[in-house]
Amino acid sequence: MSGWPWRSNAVRAAAIAAALLAPLAARLLAPITAEGAAQKQKVSSAPVTCATCHAKVVNDFAHAPMRHAMEPEGADPVLDANPDLRIEQRGYSYRIQTKDGKSTYTVSDGKETLTLPLRWHFGMRAQTWVLEKDGKFYEGLVSYFPGIHGLATTPGDDKIEPHTVAEAMGRELPVWETRDCFECHATGMKVGAVFTPEKLKPGLDCEHCHEGTAQHMADAQAGNFKTLPVSLKKMDAESVSGFCGQCHRSFDTVIRNGWHGPPFVRFAPYRLSLSRCFSGNDARISCLACHDPHQPVNHDTASYDKKCLACHSGSATVASVGAAEAAPKTCPVAKANCTSCHMQKVTLPTGNLQFTDHFIRIVKPGEAYPH
Amino acid sequence: MFSVPIPASATKDIFLRRDRKRACTRILLGMAAILFVFGVPVGAQAGAQFEDLAARAARARDAGNLTQAVELYQQATAAKPDWQEGWWYQGLLHYSANQYPPAIDAFTHLLELEPHAVPAMALRGLCEFETAAYDDALRDLDTAVVHGAASDPRNALILRVHLAQLLTRASRFQDALAQYSFFALGRVEDPDLDAGIGMAGMRTPGLVSDATAADRVVYEAAGRAGWQLLANNTMQADARFRELFTQYPTTRNLHFMYGYMLFPHDSAMALDQFQQELAVAPNNTAARGMLAFTLMIAGRYVEARAAAEQALTEEPGMAMAQIALGRALGETGEYARGEEMLKRVLTEDPKNPEVLMGLISIYSHTGRSEEARRERLAMAK
Repeated sequence: MSGWPWRSNAVRAAAIAAALLAPLAARLLAPITAEGAAQKQKVSSAPVTCATCHAKVVNDFAHAPMRHAMEPEGADPVLDANPDLRIEQRGYSYRIQTKDGKSTYTVSDGKETLTLPLRWHFGMRAQTWVLEKDGKFYEGLVSYFPGIHGLATTPGDDKIEPHTVAEAMGRELPVWETRDCFECHATGMKVGAVFTPEKLKPGLDCEHCHEGTAQHMADAQAGNFKTLPVSLKKMDAESVSGFCGQCHRSFDTVIRNGWHGPPFVRFAPYRLSLSRCFSGNDARISCLACHDPHQPVNHDTASYDKKCLACHSGSATVASVGAAEAAPKTCPVAKANCTSCHMQKVTLPTGNLQFTDHFIRIVKPGEAYPH
Repeated sequence: MFSVPIPASATKDIFLRRDRKRACTRILLGMAAILFVFGVPVGAQAGAQFEDLAARAARARDAGNLTQAVELYQQATAAKPDWQEGWWYQGLLHYSANQYPPAIDAFTHLLELEPHAVPAMALRGLCEFETAAYDDALRDLDTAVVHGAASDPRNALILRVHLAQLLTRASRFQDALAQYSFFALGRVEDPDLDAGIGMAGMRTPGLVSDATAADRVVYEAAGRAGWQLLANNTMQADARFRELFTQYPTTRNLHFMYGYMLFPHDSAMALDQFQQELAVAPNNTAARGMLAFTLMIAGRYVEARAAAEQALTEEPGMAMAQIALGRALGETGEYARGEEMLKRVLTEDPKNPEVLMGLISIYSHTGRSEEARRERLAMAK
């Protein structure tokens, strides 16, 4: 006790009292803590969900793009707002009709017509549909693009020259690509199980990223808060890049697949990792430094300035192994709207979608798209 | 991919060996153009006696008198040992008559004169196969196919089916499956092909003819499923493999086969198959190595590390497990050990992309961002 910085017996007595009273105080305050919320729920016997304890984040996530990575059949805001979409291209006419909560995808060459129900709607803004025919899955050859308020060729399918109505309907997906689509756009895929998309939940639920959520909820109901899901907050930037890259595509994934060129600009973790300022052990350049996955994407470029200035302010330093701490350069041109110059907007070759290139760099005029 | 339709009868010829001359003629047709490249004008080389022998040999050959033609070609090459055309026809005529040792001898003479005579190398390889000189046959057919002997679809069938079996016999299973994929993509179907694919997929060294009747049933069934996957009929392949797993729940290497064939396309699906394989055959070291590697690809580094360590205990030099362990160490905080292990593999395989990516990750985790970036940009290019 002699080593403790107690200045008087009175302070010591107060500290001891506080220590003794703390458990009681915790019990009294329990209803307003996560633990307490779960225990209260247990008493009320209502079903426990993530929102029981994490109401705000769950409510926020309800509007996030990842939650809407796939829209449920019959409640798709995109198709509800566009109940009759049409396009004619490459000798075929396409029509996406929505009526009474049911959507259909029709393709015709004027002689033969093929109509399939639309059940799997991928994306909350631009939208591509996965179709099923005779036990096989197809990626619809046309997609919806908000920029043109209509249909156009699905990205990546622009080189397909259909010869039949069936070919014009969509590109047959190999079994692994089908699973990949649903793995990243829905929740509930089980490795090794027979693929049954009907049993999946559209969009991403908490457990998609927070592995162990179900166990955590079950244990929490019994008052055990030790089996927490893996914390993503403790990951370094390199690991976060790999984690998000499972769907948004990491550097490794792009290299393994031999992908090159502008169509792959949409793979942000891969592009970010090419940046000079990307350092795997620096949290200021982690995906999570700029993006809260539970929130809608912020399109206000100025809102990201403080993230850039966290390093490029003139006073900040970056730690690098084997060298003295270096001060990152400050921009001689501007102190605001950094991303408008250093993170270019790149339009996909098909022309209907634009993505922010996360390869942060000094973009030279006339420079070709790098890598 | 292959726009030229391949008649089913062609495959039957190859497998059943009913009509070797027809198959031989196909090869001849495909290779005739090349023959002229190394053919030496007779008149420029020999005297009157040689020219007379050569002319008579050609007439006998054209008339279908093959025995006489062979004798005349032998006399002509005895008179002029550097007459390449003479050796070619001797070899070809012996091959047509199923006389493989003298055919090998003739093609060997020709290849000594013209080492780049790919058609002769291909035919010598087929003859060596027939005389059970399998190592020689593999060397010749492998080289011949690499140098374009199978670029003509008519030649491709007979050459690739032999080469695929030899590759399987030499335990080069991945290379064998690459040869078999030619048939699947060309929609060539045959029970012997299925058995060959099954043997390669199930990592059974040997020729199709080596299989016992009981084993062959399994190889054919597995090969049929594998054929569907190689033909890109992935849903059918998945269904067939699942049927197989029900039918043969304890058969070694069936899950491995499906996992191995899925691996280039989908690591998650492959991973499940390797796990199931190890449930069936816990001592399958190849499956454990693949499991470790696949877990690494899937980013499940803690599990990858355990699997890799066990695989290396069973087979210390397994490069795949070394890479998985090096990367897993780096991703679980043991940067120095991971880097050391990956750099050790790099000395054997300097351009291995998985090793390079593992090192990049360690550089990045440890703040060596310039090194990481330099390597990343080099790989991205």
